[in-house]
Amino acid sequence: MDTPVKVGAAGGAGALDPGEQTLYEVRRKLYPRAVQGRFAAWRWTFVLLTQLVFYGGPWLTWNGRQAVLFDLVSRKFYIFGLVFWPQDIVYLTVLLIISAYSLFLFTAVAGRLWCGFACPQTVYTEMFMWIERKVEGDRLARMRLDAQPLSARKLRLKAAKHGLWIALALWTGFSFVGYFTPIKALGHEVLSLGLGPWETFWVLFYGFATYGNAGWMREQVCKYMCPYARFQSVMFDPDTLIITYDSARGDPRGSRARSVDYKAKGLGECVDCSICVQVCPTGIDIRDGLQYECIGCAACIDGCNQVMDKMGYPRGLIRYSTEKAMAGHYTADRILKRIFRPRVIVYTAILWLIILAAGITLYHRVPLKVDVIRDRGNVMRGGDDPEVQNVYRLQIMNTQEVPREVSIAVSGVDGISLEAEHQPIHIGPASSRVVAVRVEAPRASIREKSTPIVFTVEAADPSHPGALPLKVAEKATLVIP
Amino acid sequence: MRLQRLIWVLWPSFIAAGVAEALFFTIFDPEELPFFGTIVGASRITTYSVGFFLFWAFAAFSSSLTCFFQRGSAELNRCPLPPTARPLGCPKRSDENASCR
Repeated sequence: MDTPVKVGAAGGAGALDPGEQTLYEVRRKLYPRAVQGRFAAWRWTFVLLTQLVFYGGPWLTWNGRQAVLFDLVSRKFYIFGLVFWPQDIVYLTVLLIISAYSLFLFTAVAGRLWCGFACPQTVYTEMFMWIERKVEGDRLARMRLDAQPLSARKLRLKAAKHGLWIALALWTGFSFVGYFTPIKALGHEVLSLGLGPWETFWVLFYGFATYGNAGWMREQVCKYMCPYARFQSVMFDPDTLIITYDSARGDPRGSRARSVDYKAKGLGECVDCSICVQVCPTGIDIRDGLQYECIGCAACIDGCNQVMDKMGYPRGLIRYSTEKAMAGHYTADRILKRIFRPRVIVYTAILWLIILAAGITLYHRVPLKVDVIRDRGNVMRGGDDPEVQNVYRLQIMNTQEVPREVSIAVSGVDGISLEAEHQPIHIGPASSRVVAVRVEAPRASIREKSTPIVFTVEAADPSHPGALPLKVAEKATLVIP
Repeated sequence: MRLQRLIWVLWPSFIAAGVAEALFFTIFDPEELPFFGTIVGASRITTYSVGFFLFWAFAAFSSSLTCFFQRGSAELNRCPLPPTARPLGCPKRSDENASCR
């Protein structure tokens, strides 16, 4: 690739000495230029979709309660018809694995799609920049405003911008906390100024994080704080679609009039207008090649295409392409075919296997859980024919939102018997109950100091009267005092 | 630079604290958590929140030590920046062999 041409004052990054940049991060404030086009439209689609889910989610109702509620106080997570307990952490792990694999898959196919279109950092920055643009004006107006000394107008504009930012940030913080505390109650508490101290704190904390990250930090979050940005390139291969500047077509760069025959002047198709740099939210020059700062937002593609249209040149001087396609001059068709390569097929297969396995286990999950805790009260009773007596506490969890009647039995030793409170035991919907149980067994039938026994907890399913009862077996040990 | 160091310390420890918080409180119920023989009396939300900040503080302590030990010999022996590149206000802007000790 040719040596990059330094862009002038409009350029942004590139002017700093690299040594200086790594040691002393003198951040230049970026003024990304607004851009319109196919990819900007996609990004706004994702902004709307993700935020519809995020802001709207806590307001949905299911079974007369909040549909999605991570109820930390009662240690239960409700997701529509499902109720998760701390014991279900394996599903959280599986969810994380699925997310990670999806990220690997998307990255292998087309680079940082997540970063450019769906990451909250991108989404909130986009929303905050939209507010900024509406209040302060376009890129040039904003630069001019910042360069001005403080005036009544500047104060008014800045106050309006920050006021709107803070309002959006607070609403975001409120929605976030609404996933952990029922949002309607939370809303009433806010309106009556009766919000609890920790809820207040977390609304402000999340709101402040949103305001800071989307208003002030912006691209620095991606450049210095995001772990994914650092390792995403290991998932790339020469067939990964990345945002690429076609240097063979564009160089040598230079400005020219629309009417000029640039080929006769020895120029390429890049008019060196620096629009691609001006629109970049991380302030890089994509013409320098693939850089870790590139979040794959494709704003430069949209920007460049507009310029190409104006010049009457074909679009796609900057485009989604692959390393191999650039070197081998692939057609669009061939690039698309290369998506279905072994690496992508294997990633996809593994992803579907995990999703399928998770779905099946979730479907077959027994909505009854039992934890056995042995109490200290073990005694020996009787004279000639002694009996060993152990006391246990059984925590029985009914994980579905229907009441259940359960009965407990014990087995494992000849002549073993159990004494509990009057059976069957009633357990309310999505709740748990601790039941004390006394187990007795003849001393004669126990051979070892501690003998394994099995508790069986059975519950009839009231929603399916004819169905087999739910049955959970839990191991325990019987100890001779 | 100071801000960047602060981010280097606070941010990785924030992530680590989040993971530790999720794992710890999935396994241990705050209402059954022993505290010098008695049970932590606070509400679950309080224990979760205080727990998070404790995890964060510990992780930040570790991060700050990493940050502290990370300086190489060049940085410890003398300032790696040429005098003109040192920040305005640095008292050693004119001293070629200055170090930050």
